[in-house]
Amino acid sequence: MNSDLINLFAETFGIAEEKLQPGATLESLGLDSLAVIEFLFQIEDQFGIQIPDQANPPRTLDEMVQLIEPLMPKPGSAPGGASARLT
Amino acid sequence: MRRVAITGLGVVSPVGSGCGVFFAALLAARSGIRAIKVAFPHGVESVVAGSIDFDPDTHFARAKLLTMDRVSQFALVAAREAMAQAGLGDIARREGFAPERFGISLGTGSGGSGSTEAAYTALLEQKVARLRPMTVVLAMNNAIAAHISMEFGLKGSSCTVSNACASSANAIGDAFRQIRHGYADAMLVGGSEALLNRGTIKAWQAMHTLAKPHVDGAYASCRPFSKDRTGLVLSEGAAMLVLEDWDTAQRRGANILAELAGYASTTDAHHLTQPEASGQASAMTLGLRDARLNVDDIAYLNAHGTATDVGDVVETNAVRLAFQNAATTLPVSSTKAVHGHTMGAAGAMEFIASVMALRAGQLPPTAFLETPDPRCDLDYVALQARERKGMRAVMSNSFAFGGSNAVLIAKAI
Repeated sequence: MNSDLINLFAETFGIAEEKLQPGATLESLGLDSLAVIEFLFQIEDQFGIQIPDQANPPRTLDEMVQLIEPLMPKPGSAPGGASARLT
Repeated sequence: MRRVAITGLGVVSPVGSGCGVFFAALLAARSGIRAIKVAFPHGVESVVAGSIDFDPDTHFARAKLLTMDRVSQFALVAAREAMAQAGLGDIARREGFAPERFGISLGTGSGGSGSTEAAYTALLEQKVARLRPMTVVLAMNNAIAAHISMEFGLKGSSCTVSNACASSANAIGDAFRQIRHGYADAMLVGGSEALLNRGTIKAWQAMHTLAKPHVDGAYASCRPFSKDRTGLVLSEGAAMLVLEDWDTAQRRGANILAELAGYASTTDAHHLTQPEASGQASAMTLGLRDARLNVDDIAYLNAHGTATDVGDVVETNAVRLAFQNAATTLPVSSTKAVHGHTMGAAGAMEFIASVMALRAGQLPPTAFLETPDPRCDLDYVALQARERKGMRAVMSNSFAFGGSNAVLIAKAI
């Protein structure tokens, strides 16, 4: 999985990295559906990308990465920077 | 009519969090008020306030905090303490209650006003094109009740009262009636406020009712009933109680702290900001009647006592009207001198102070009251806590802008 995204996720939510397995459900990591929406919004703001509305929002960590990764800017072009903590 | 037991208390306040810490600070007249720096667009200002050093990460997971305004964080921390004290923190202990018979009744003046302000700041100052998806649910007034209901699985009625400074006293009174008349068996009640943001502070400054920093230090700026008082101090915090049907509480072996014995609410119908003694007095008189008590039964009154010029005099006159000759010997104090005015949380916070005074046989003083205003001529328990054992009942007053008056009475068990 994209390590920038996973690091950002771990930092934002203060979740230990060993728990961040691809198949882990977002719910099991403490994110309800609203927290997922809020996180995707912050990702959009952080990286200046637009994530299309989802009929089926991501359920697992892997699904979320699959959704975001193709939209991520190429290294060096991000307006924010993946190391910044989202709050 | 059923009797109503108080079985749990919880406080998050500028003088400390946890009931024990809170009440010890009141007895010691230890102020939680200080000068904070607030960055307004035109420059940084020093503001006298009851601000809480609160680290949300010690209480909540970050994912949860994405959906919680500061006002809900305070509310939930206070609710956890109250539920734990009632012996209901553990889900297994709540199984004796049908979920839809356990409700919530809370007060808040301005709900998630910090989130509202953040949204306007983003929109108008930072000129963003869109707001956070959670803006509505962070800011809505009943979010405090929603978060508590979800944490404890409480599925009875949940209502959030917004009656300015009387909000949580009214919320407690409404819940009291629900249990008394059989609509609920238990209620989580109280109030929360987190309004120390730029817009709210500026709005209050414009009312010309805020205290000026005192020469002894910002901590001494809220001086109820004092000749040199200059106004109220804005504060934040939360206070929660667990109320239960008396027989239910006894059956489950709960530790009953006191009886919630009386409540009354009136409206001045007179002026938006000028209180009226007759409206306040009738709330006290009706509260006594509701509790089936006489003026002589009240051994301590926790005054609304905000330290405004008009408010303290009108309340003094109202106490004289309601208590007649008994007013002369009635100990009255305002604990706002040390915790400031927590607005929507004030009624619950001060009712907790009253219940703890009743149980401890110790009256919290009115801090900083060296020279009383000659127009304020009651016994205000000035400066020093006082021992008073064997009290039968205590009263707590809450009076709001808009003319709303709410009075709560607790009786010793």
